[in-house]
Amino acid sequence: MVNSKAKYVEVELEKYSLKPFDRFKRVMKRTFKGELFVGLGIVFREMVRFNIHTTQYPGEKLPISPRYRAIHELLRLLESGNERCIGCGLCEKICISKCIRMDTHLGEDGRKHISEYTINFGRCIFCGYCAEVCPELAIVHGPRYENSSEQRAHFGLKEDMLTPIDVFKKGAQKEYPGFGAPSPDADKRIKKTPLAY
Amino acid sequence: MHEMLLHSDGCDMISFYVDGNLVEAKKGQTILEAATKSGHYIPTMCYLPKLEPISSCRICVVEIEGSDELILSCQTPVVEGIKVTTDSKKLFEYRQNILKLYDVNHPLECGVCDKSGECLLQNRTLEFELDRQEFSAKEEKREIKRWGLIGYDPSLCILCERCVHTCNEIIGDDAIEIATGGYSSHIKPKGSDELDCSFCGECIAVCPVGALVSTGFKYISNSWELRKIPATCSHCPVGCAIYYEVKHDGTLDASEKRIYRVSNDFEYNSLCIAGRFGFDFENSETTKDSSELSRAVEAFLKADTIRFNSFITNEEALILQKLKEKRGYKLINSEAYIFREFLSELSMASGVSFYTGSVEDVKRSDFILSIGSRIYDDAPVVGYAINSAKKLKGAYFGYLHTIEDNRIHPSKFVKYEVGAEEGAIAALAYVILKDKIVDNRLQEYLDDLDIGYICSESNISEEELESLAKILKSKSSPILIAGSDLYSHKRAENIARLLGFIEKHSNFKVLLIPTSTNTLGVSLICDLDKEAGDYVIGYNDIGDYRLSSLGDGDLDMPALNQQEGTFTTIDKRVVPTNAALPYGGYELNDIAKELEIARENTIDYTLSLPRKSGYRSVGFDELDDEISKDGVDRRGYNLVIEEKDTHFNLQKIADIDEYNGVVVYVSNPTSQFSYMTNRARLLKDQSSDLEGSEQFSIAAKIEDGDYVSISFGQYEVKKVFKINPKLKGVVGILPIFDNMLSTYLLPSQYKYQKVEIKKASLEKKVEEN
Repeated sequence: MVNSKAKYVEVELEKYSLKPFDRFKRVMKRTFKGELFVGLGIVFREMVRFNIHTTQYPGEKLPISPRYRAIHELLRLLESGNERCIGCGLCEKICISKCIRMDTHLGEDGRKHISEYTINFGRCIFCGYCAEVCPELAIVHGPRYENSSEQRAHFGLKEDMLTPIDVFKKGAQKEYPGFGAPSPDADKRIKKTPLAY
Repeated sequence: MHEMLLHSDGCDMISFYVDGNLVEAKKGQTILEAATKSGHYIPTMCYLPKLEPISSCRICVVEIEGSDELILSCQTPVVEGIKVTTDSKKLFEYRQNILKLYDVNHPLECGVCDKSGECLLQNRTLEFELDRQEFSAKEEKREIKRWGLIGYDPSLCILCERCVHTCNEIIGDDAIEIATGGYSSHIKPKGSDELDCSFCGECIAVCPVGALVSTGFKYISNSWELRKIPATCSHCPVGCAIYYEVKHDGTLDASEKRIYRVSNDFEYNSLCIAGRFGFDFENSETTKDSSELSRAVEAFLKADTIRFNSFITNEEALILQKLKEKRGYKLINSEAYIFREFLSELSMASGVSFYTGSVEDVKRSDFILSIGSRIYDDAPVVGYAINSAKKLKGAYFGYLHTIEDNRIHPSKFVKYEVGAEEGAIAALAYVILKDKIVDNRLQEYLDDLDIGYICSESNISEEELESLAKILKSKSSPILIAGSDLYSHKRAENIARLLGFIEKHSNFKVLLIPTSTNTLGVSLICDLDKEAGDYVIGYNDIGDYRLSSLGDGDLDMPALNQQEGTFTTIDKRVVPTNAALPYGGYELNDIAKELEIARENTIDYTLSLPRKSGYRSVGFDELDDEISKDGVDRRGYNLVIEEKDTHFNLQKIADIDEYNGVVVYVSNPTSQFSYMTNRARLLKDQSSDLEGSEQFSIAAKIEDGDYVSISFGQYEVKKVFKINPKLKGVVGILPIFDNMLSTYLLPSQYKYQKVEIKKASLEKKVEEN
């Protein structure tokens, strides 16, 4: 509802003199005020003290939050090293920008395997739904935010995202605490299935 | 008063209450049927409308006022005035408990299960809000089985018995059974470890969970990703309603260019192996090369004949007819030609423009005779209809043929000699018509028939005929199914007339099985010629210039799963089919346009299908293409059937040709109809061996496993010979689906051929491979 008593109020502004000389004086005053030199002085002082707070990127990188959502990674099972992805297709289904696509087949071990897995990073909005819906913690957002390359597709194939087997063997695959990860007290909250025999 | 309750169809109607609403039901209808029909919902698991109630799941229980017990609605008939409750707290808990039992140890692998998304157990578990489980049982080791095209995972099986009942009541293979053993019960092939059946895959379709799956489809796609395209199966004249389910192929291309599977409205209808698994016969041509088109036009300008088969749509047939009218081509399609001749003779005798039977009539009839067709191979779905009439309605089935078929289990098999179709039909006409009041000339004709002589000539026993006649007396809705052995017989004219008179003067309906998918349509639309000219365009057939949907001709054509159009089915119904896959090349209409027959699209011709043949002026986009939720086929429209003048011109029964020496029956196995099914990935391994009995092998002087050359007329094929212990008699069976394009080289369309069989050297076979 509009308040009928409300009125427009005219703000009193300082009257500027529009005479050419007054204008010139105003410009000079604003340009050569001391603040400029104050700032330059601080820079100079920090420079000669060698106590700079700037991060020397790309030589030096800031740690990012575990919940940061950068380029996806496909993880392996901790013990066997097999791919975690079971090809259930939930990430493909939930993806709101429809940029995930997978192809599955019947493996020789009788299980479902993914033959191909791609994410079109030209369309991905890094919402994190895929990582959240994944029942196997297979697709996660990794910490890799540097995406410059000749082509966006360079990050989007299965072989780009899957932990390489040699990296895995070195034990360098990191469990991801971010989106979709079990909460720290997950063990306590799990109910046992009723197989009380 | 009682009369007033009778409705027009002669059924007593009774009324009862469902959840307080007054509902009408036919007498004998079950509570479930009547309630569902009136829009009430009763949950079910094992119930399938096409089967007798299985009543294994007990989910469909309802309460009836005045009764303490819960009643199974699927098998309890409606009683006047009862008050049924379909949902209450008690029912909900009861159903919940049943589902909990189903869920005991059901593997939590929905994530990968093929059925996930269309799983009845998944749906019901969510519907009844099951979030906890109190029951438990010690899990056992259960092995996943692979039976050819069908895979079975016993730990997913809920033992609803749908598959077993379908296999028995509908398909007739009766190939699987329940191995009972309490908690370790499972489905197993009947009588052996390996599944020996026609692999129609109907058990896969009816399985409510992911226990029975198609091994060709296993784990390649989730059901919700697939887009269903309603279409008509293009393999046989029955024209079943199917859905092609398509999705992109691979991850880098978004176009839906691969068919992943075929599904159907399995609650009411069934598919055969070819329909379910023979779907990927498309032509992957993607580009148009205008120089190729101009070469094709040149060929058309030069040609005087177009030879084609009946695996085309009505619209394409009409384009060919228009080309004929414009440029005077001769249209050659021998199987449609003989079918047209047969049909016109039949309708001249019967006085109706078409035969009157349909596949639905077969399901409803109580006395079925089949003659001149190896029915499970020619039109498997008609075979299923016969079987369900037999099993569900107690129909009598007499199978008349030269070769016994152990898959059919007829009530009576009547064997006749090769070439004796005319005598057999005459004997049937005699049996059916002799006591009826018919017109005098026919009466005279029948009286003149020397049945004793005909029977001995055709090798039919008179006692068999008499027993048929006796059984027929108590039957009210008989049907006679006639197959292609009759149309191609050299006395086809007279056979057709005899059939026509049977149809006219008795309560028999006659159902002809057209030879291939659109034989009926082609015979109605095209003005076919008998003799070919000098320069032949072959459309999916042999010719000097070849148009081919297989991609091996001079110009590519779209396959039938890449085309829009209509087929004319066995039921005299015009049904639409839709393009499941993209096609980038030229089609027949492009050539027609070049030859100045100007219609923008092929489907523009649907509107002008010839009205004099019974088609209606309905455009393609106006055609309905769905099966309704209660199972009524609403696709397309029925041809208009007209009355005709009848002529009496029966001839004397001719003596039969002697078929001495080695005779083969040219017939394809159930799984194979044509070059299209032969191209399908899942059906590729089907054997195309020459098969025969022990007796045949002695007559032909060949042994099991021999590589032989079979020659007749200009036709010669080389095949491996296999002794099939299930076959009897001296006639071998020769499949030609792998060599279809040259069928016109056969001396005649008659499926029995005298052949010469010689052993061919094996080295050559290796070379050919």
